[in-house]
Order: sequence, then structure tokens, then C-alpha cells
Amino acid sequence: MIEFIDIHKSFGPKHVLRGVSLTVEQGQVLYLVGSSGAGKSVLVKHLVGLLRPDSGRIVLDGRDITWLSEAEFYPVRKKCAMVFQNSTLFDSMTVLDNVALPYRKHHRLDRAEASRRALEKLALVDMEHAARRFPGDLGDGLRKRVAIARALTLDPEFVIFDEPTTGLDPVAAANVDQLIRSLRNDTGVTAIVVSHDLRSIFTVADRIAMIYEGHIRLDGTPEDFRRSADPVVSQFIHGRPDGPMKI
Amino acid sequence: MNAALERGFRAVGAPLVAVGSHAFGIYSVFAQVVMALLKGAVRWREVVRQSYLIGNRSLFFITVTLGFLGLISVYQVASQIQRILPDFTMMGPAFIQLMWREFAPTITGLMIATRVGSGIAAEIGSMVVTEQVDALRMCNADPVRYLIVPRTIASTVMVMMLTIYAVFIATIAGMVLADVVFNVSPSTFVSLSMVSGQDVVLGLVKALSFGFWIPIVAGQAGLSASGGSAGVGWATTRAVVASSFAVILLDFIISGIGYTVFDL
Repeated sequence: MIEFIDIHKSFGPKHVLRGVSLTVEQGQVLYLVGSSGAGKSVLVKHLVGLLRPDSGRIVLDGRDITWLSEAEFYPVRKKCAMVFQNSTLFDSMTVLDNVALPYRKHHRLDRAEASRRALEKLALVDMEHAARRFPGDLGDGLRKRVAIARALTLDPEFVIFDEPTTGLDPVAAANVDQLIRSLRNDTGVTAIVVSHDLRSIFTVADRIAMIYEGHIRLDGTPEDFRRSADPVVSQFIHGRPDGPMKI
Repeated sequence: MNAALERGFRAVGAPLVAVGSHAFGIYSVFAQVVMALLKGAVRWREVVRQSYLIGNRSLFFITVTLGFLGLISVYQVASQIQRILPDFTMMGPAFIQLMWREFAPTITGLMIATRVGSGIAAEIGSMVVTEQVDALRMCNADPVRYLIVPRTIASTVMVMMLTIYAVFIATIAGMVLADVVFNVSPSTFVSLSMVSGQDVVLGLVKALSFGFWIPIVAGQAGLSASGGSAGVGWATTRAVVASSFAVILLDFIISGIGYTVFDL
């Protein structure tokens, strides 16, 4: 279980998170939604130590991980993988080497063994055929699949997806959604998905939390969101240009 | 009144805080590089690749720059000598000594600071703003060890090699000009009578030191990039300014220590 407790975070004069508290239960697919710049990615990066809060606590499976050192965060990053918004594959490495990198760095496996295991993970996302290609030769949807394979290398319990369908065509986006669903169903992975893709949100999410003006505005099931009388929530889920939401 | 006072303090304090935080950042990267070197955590294949990029790819740049520097320096000095006493016997040896002690390491250092320092900052800065550095951290790959340590080793070795090459090129250029314009024979010009082992040591210590610090200063600028392509641009500018400044400052410090402590 993941607990964010009263997280505050500022960047210069901009107070992005103003006391966010959120709990993520094991085995759930939680969608974190909100307008661009609301602080969704900022919040999830705290979980893996890529950002540190100004105040507040992050508790992972009962252990306070807020102020772990960089070295102490490495085991946490084995447990909690992250798929970045732009896939962030290393262009100078082949697809296989990209996926093998966590095996070589986290598990200190030799190149041959790391590559063998990386191929297995690529097969999970139907990308073993592209193992020898470079990321620059792949389309956005395929790059996203490779990034997901890399995130799965260490058999994480939690996977953070940062806007996994942004910039993808509808078919590629539906493929990614299906991949997230099958991950949850087949491996029991807990997923936190940062997104504002309404179609994905209502087809995949078990639970949705909306961040607005640095706070959690609503935390509930997709049905709770559909029924919500909150004008801000309503404007967001219906994608209306006019309303009370400050952009 | 209070608001004006606050603005005044901010105007004075903000740049000091920025410089202090920048200096601490450089120190932090330096400490991490030293720790990695002590532990032997080095990607040697990447060191070889970076050596090629830093050293071999700078050869043309250094050849042109130091070649022209040799031509201009010898022309200026010889013109002055010709007016006072037309004896060029000491010109070549003094020129070669000056090249070893000062110009070859410093000009090479400054050239590498602009060419390589900007490249390092731009590359690492782009990786920061596209979250590739975060992805490295997620893969248990420390960004300083992974990105800056190989460049530091490569740069330290290659700046030293380029400095030796720079002395050679500047001497050849000066020798040709002295022969063609002032009728100074090559055997008179190329004399090592004034060059001692201490001069060579001083020049090489400077070269090693410049080569070591340029990737650290430039890498820190890249790692502190933020805010998209504009942030990468600023990081690159900061890297060039800071690493050029570091070369000048180190030149002053090493020369000072050389003269006062070791009598070099």
C-alpha cells in the first residue's frame, strides 16, 4: 500500500502541491487526473525519490520512505517502476540494451544473461522482433511498449505510468490501455496512471483521484466521478471549455 | 521603506545565493566523481568513445587555432626584435618555452571548454529535461558515474595529449613564418635550450587539471538544466562561461603555486 500524507511541494514561488493526501491500495489501477500543470507527475515522482517534498510523508508498505538517501531509494525503485511520459528510451542503445539496462545495474547481471531476460520481457509486450532496432526507428506506440517492458524487468509490485497514451493514435492508445489491464489481471501489479485521457480513464480505472489547485478534489470510483455534482469535476470529465476550472 | 530595503537585499543576495549554490553543485559533482574513481566504477568502453569525441574530433580545431596563434605570436615578437636588435637567436627557444608553460595548455583548455564543455552541457541538459536522467536513476545508474566520470577521464587524458600536439603545431607554424618572413633558419628557431623539464611539467599539470575540471563544471551545468529547450540553452551558456572561467582561474592558481612554491 502507498500513502501520500499531506504532501507540499513548491518550485520557486509556485506552490504546486498544497497538502495532498492519497492512499493507493494493493492491486488497484488508480488514475490520477487533473489539468496540465496540476501536479500529477510531481506527486508520483515523490514515490520513487525523483523529487523530495517540502513537507509531508510518503509511506510504502508501512515504511516511511520520505527521506531515504539516493542509495536507499534503489530497492524502492525495484519495487516501484516508472514508465515516463515520453518513453525516455536511450537512443544510443538498441531496444534490447535499453530493456537489459535495469538487469545489469540493479542485479549486476552480465550482458548475455541480462539480454536473455530482456528478450523475455520484450516478448510480454510483443516487441521481441524489434530487439536489435534502435528506439529512433520505432513509432511512439512501439516505443511506449518498449518502455513498459523496461519497467517490468524487475517484476515490480507497483508501476507508475506517466501519461501513457498522450501523443498516441487511438489504436496504439487502446493497446496500451489493454496492456495496463492485462498487467493488473495477470500479474496483480498495482498501477498509478497519470492521465487526462478520458476514454482510458473510464475504461481502465478502478479508482480515480483528481488533483485541483494542489489538493485532491475528488477520490472515488469512475461511477462516483460520473455522478459528481462538483462543477469542477463535471467540467473536467465532460471536457467543457467553460466552467469554474482555472487553467 | 521596508519594501525598498527588502528589494535591495534581494538584489544583492540573489546573485550571491545563485553563485553559492552553483559552486556547491560543482563541488558535489567533483566529490561524486572522485568517489567513483576511487571505487573504480568506470565504463571503460564509454571512456574510449568519449576520448575519440573529445580528442580526435578536436584535432582540426586545435590545429587551426594553435597554428594561427603560432604565426601571429612569432610575427609580433619578431617585428619588435627586428626594430631593436636584429638577433633572432633567442626567439625560438623563448617561444617554445612560453608555449609549454602558458599558451598551449591554456588556449587548448579554453578551446576544449567551448567545444566540449558546451557539448557536454547540451547533451546532459537535454537528457535532464526529457527525463532520461530520471530514467537512468530508475535503472540504478547514477547519472554522475554514468555520464560525467567517463567524460572526465577522457577529457583529462585527451587535453594533455592535445596540449603536446598544440606545442608541436604552434612551433611548426612559428618556425615556418620565422624562416619565410624573417630568414630565421629552422635549426635556430627549434632549439630547446630554454625549455626545462620543469616547464614541461608545469604545462602538463595545467593541461591535466583543465581536462579534469571542464567536464565536471559543464556536467554540473547540464544536470542543473530545467524548463525545456530554453533551460538547455542557458545551461550550455553557463557551462561555457563557467568552464572558461575555471581554466583561467586554474591557470592563475597553478602558475602562482609553480612560481612561489616549486620555483618552476
